[in-house]
Amino acid sequence: MVDIMQRIFRKKFFRDIFNKLIGKEKKLKIGFYGHPNSGKTTLANRMTKDWTGKSLGLISEIPHETRKVCRQERVTLTYDGVELDFDIIDTPGIATKIDYKNFLEYGLSEQDAKERAKEATKGIIEAIKWLDDVTGVLLVVDSTQDPLTQANITIIGNLEARNIPFVVVANKVDLPESNTGRILSVFPQHRVVGISALKGENVDELYQAMVERFN
Amino acid sequence: MNEVNYALKMDFISSDVLKSQSSIEKISMIMEKVKKGEILVIEGGLEPEEEAELIETTMREIDVESFVGIDIYTLEKDEASFFGLSKKKTVGITIIGPANIMKQVKRKSNFISMVASLGDSDASMY
Repeated sequence: MVDIMQRIFRKKFFRDIFNKLIGKEKKLKIGFYGHPNSGKTTLANRMTKDWTGKSLGLISEIPHETRKVCRQERVTLTYDGVELDFDIIDTPGIATKIDYKNFLEYGLSEQDAKERAKEATKGIIEAIKWLDDVTGVLLVVDSTQDPLTQANITIIGNLEARNIPFVVVANKVDLPESNTGRILSVFPQHRVVGISALKGENVDELYQAMVERFN
Repeated sequence: MNEVNYALKMDFISSDVLKSQSSIEKISMIMEKVKKGEILVIEGGLEPEEEAELIETTMREIDVESFVGIDIYTLEKDEASFFGLSKKKTVGITIIGPANIMKQVKRKSNFISMVASLGDSDASMY
């Protein structure tokens, strides 16, 4: 009985959060930025599952090292007349360099690798332009890793300059080597929320933070 | 026999120089120098919008054969504001150079260690 009550309560809680986030425009455009394997896709799947009952079902088929150079996934889904736009970008995707030789290691021919490098440069320009029209950004940081990277600094600088609301998500708090305190000390002036996207730990606090920051 | 040039040119630019330039002038100056293989050490830094503009320009300038892009590293410092009641981070030093030359070795909040790779020889910079 208590279990059923809790489930009903949680469903209402997520519904309320969702309604607050979409506002009058009935559109929610969230950028998920972060290093490869920081848990962006897991978080995006968790979010849509909590809010709409369905996960995005994104699976990456691109090898990790290739994704390091540039990976970008853009998903739009419509739920109950509301448009949800998710852009999932590896922060090195906002990179300052593209070397086609990095692609050669994955069996691409020289010609294909050069083509891929050219596409990547266009992708980066698009990723920067996409920031102009976003409801808010989640900067997903692996709490077991050092958060002080130039990519994170560049992203945060750009978000601040454009007045784009964002929340720093310290992910993977379920792992023993997680250190949320290190992330808080590096970004003391920003809202940092520790979660486990995989296990759903503390996502309620993240959704609350999104409502506070994005509206 | 052709002599291989292992020299590294570094320019140190004061914040006063940048203040007198428009964003386009700054980005053009940086691109011109970096494409020649030079490393720039700038007092202060670019505005975040300028940094984004620099990344866009870099992407347009990338030539898969000869120019793979740039590397930017910034060192931030705490700056007291509002009568010392609050602290905010400002950029103290910015280092920009060609990505094929710059290799970062170590980074902490107040320290960057860098190696510039010049053919067979390496030069360290702290």
